[in-house]
Amino acid sequence: MEYTNSNPSPVKEYILSVLARNKAGVLLRIAGLFSRRCYNILSIVAAQTEDTEYSRILIVVSGDDRIVRQVDKQLSKLIDIVQVDVLEREKIVEREHLLLKVERTLQTSEKLVEIANIFHANILNVEPDSMILELTGDAGTINSFIELYNPYNVLRILRTGAMAMPK
Amino acid sequence: MVLTGAQIVMECLLEQGVDTVFGYPGGAVLNIYDALYEYRDRINHVRTAHEQGAAHAADGYARSTGKTGVCIATSGPGATNLVTGIATAYMDSVPLVAITGNVNLNLLGLDSFQEVDITGITMPITKHNYIVKDVRDLAQTLREAFQIAGSGRKGPVLVDIPKDITGQKCEYERSQPLPPLPHDFPIEERFTSALELLTRAERPFLYCGGGVLSSDAEEELAKFAGLLDAPVACSLMCQGGFDQADPRYMGMLGMHGTNTAALAIKNCDLFVAVGTRFSDRVLCNAGLFARHCPIIQIEIDTAEFNKNIEVQLKVKGDAREILERLNSMLPQQSHPQWMEQIAAWKEEFPLVQKPRTPGAVTPQQVIETLDRLTGEDTLICTEVGQNQMWAAQFYTYRRPHTFISSGGLGTMGFGLGAAIGAKIANPEKTVVNIAGDGSFHMNLTELATAAAYHVPIVELILNNEVLGMVRQWQKLFYDNRFSQTDVDTTTNFPALAEAFGLKAYSIFTADEVEPVLREALAQTGPVLIDCHIDRDVNVLPMVPAGASVESPILEMDN
Repeated sequence: MEYTNSNPSPVKEYILSVLARNKAGVLLRIAGLFSRRCYNILSIVAAQTEDTEYSRILIVVSGDDRIVRQVDKQLSKLIDIVQVDVLEREKIVEREHLLLKVERTLQTSEKLVEIANIFHANILNVEPDSMILELTGDAGTINSFIELYNPYNVLRILRTGAMAMPK
Repeated sequence: MVLTGAQIVMECLLEQGVDTVFGYPGGAVLNIYDALYEYRDRINHVRTAHEQGAAHAADGYARSTGKTGVCIATSGPGATNLVTGIATAYMDSVPLVAITGNVNLNLLGLDSFQEVDITGITMPITKHNYIVKDVRDLAQTLREAFQIAGSGRKGPVLVDIPKDITGQKCEYERSQPLPPLPHDFPIEERFTSALELLTRAERPFLYCGGGVLSSDAEEELAKFAGLLDAPVACSLMCQGGFDQADPRYMGMLGMHGTNTAALAIKNCDLFVAVGTRFSDRVLCNAGLFARHCPIIQIEIDTAEFNKNIEVQLKVKGDAREILERLNSMLPQQSHPQWMEQIAAWKEEFPLVQKPRTPGAVTPQQVIETLDRLTGEDTLICTEVGQNQMWAAQFYTYRRPHTFISSGGLGTMGFGLGAAIGAKIANPEKTVVNIAGDGSFHMNLTELATAAAYHVPIVELILNNEVLGMVRQWQKLFYDNRFSQTDVDTTTNFPALAEAFGLKAYSIFTADEVEPVLREALAQTGPVLIDCHIDRDVNVLPMVPAGASVESPILEMDN
């Protein structure tokens, strides 16, 4: 029998929910760990929890199954980190916030508003030659929203990164 | 009672049973050194020539005793000089507490004189680090630092203390050291699975790493090897963790392992790894490592499972506790044919160095003579490179904590400082640092420390006037283009040693080896031996990069 290293699972996105002591430098410790171990952070969101002693940090990581298990275990070794959960997408609610600035002309204006309405996005600002839209949704919704605006010359995008909470 | 921050540092060291620290004074630690003066009857401070030496000495102190080593440095360059020493300890999981001074709180972040963000710098090379910004947190922080350094997989912790914190006063109450942080014990199922694999195996291979030493598992390991009736190989970090005079012992496994270990891994049907992280220097080509048999890994750090290699059975926890449990469950196994085969390979493939010219000194002769002249509790420190591999190959380590070497980081210049720390911790034991001329050149300033504190170590330089290990790679892979490795040093080592106040000896020929070693070992002060060896002696066997650990090169021209 051969005991080969199993083939790596496909690369996908994982959401890690990290509970950390709210100490100075804890974000640096996490970011440093990702950088030196060559893990990819797609987004990171950090804020105090209901208990000000602790922070909740949500990290979206891209990698195969093995990498994500390594990230989980290496993070768990950091002294200021209390708990790491790898969230399963079907068992959470996920929200991300997007601001999108798109070029506006007399010809495209109506179309731009129409797309916004389909997604129930807010129009935050309209200038003669541009428009800023706001949308909250899961990563999939945000991605399709951006895709629909792409043909109209997207000028700038700001995404907060995913927030996620187990159901 | 009300004490200054600096006095609290002293009290916290005493709480932990620390009686020796290594360091170097400076502006930001003036208060701490003032307290050291006050506590000098209870805390022995050894001032090294350079802070790096202090870190290595604290490391050698820790490795030779199992206790947590302590080093102290001032802010800025003092702190950065510790960095190599801290990284060395981190890679080899050595418990160390480094205390650094920093500028006053109100000067932090302003690029003040001798200011450096040492917590930022040492984040990747410490288990954890702290900057203390309130004197009321100082005692608890130091207690936690010792707790973290000595718990689970051990390692260094740094505590940075701004100068004014060490001067401020605060109520201090003596306290017991914090208990070690809890670690896992495997679920029952793991033992059942392990037992199934262990009893089914016909040709088991037992491989041990530094975790055996950190968990004091050597007795349980010896018992386990007997019950399993298995041959044993050790990593560089586990030299002395298993009695090398035992017929079961095959030598090291890995890049410079023995051919017996290589043949055994090729032919085994179960690979049992205890307290080890499967370093790339052991795995060689990870894809070709023990792929025909299941692997059981006993390891305290869960992040080491499936990191460098996938294993079939993970048993998480302290090596000693797990072996103890396995020993209580495992019926006596018997593999006479397999053990005979191992003995035959050992007979067929001994480690042999032949002199290239008649009468020339070989490293093997020097180290085996040293082995013969010294007792089994002798502490052998090493530098890094060929000297280190020869020291591991040719000395018979019979007891734990007798081999002190920078394995993971491979720090040239480690050995002399470490030897000083080890000797101070073990004044009754003989301490020899086996060095190469390249490594010796890096941190030779510590001879001043050995002389000033009358630390009777033996600095044994295997002087081939080249950077031998790198040169050996140049022979193999760079067509003998000896770029910057033929050092041909003009330094007169014996004269240098005498200038520092050491007694010095030279060895040029094979017949000088024993008399000189005898005389040097009999001295009551520190000595240096400049032992001239051939520059073309190679470290063999050797697994070239990318090859399987099963196929070492056994011979090289030149």
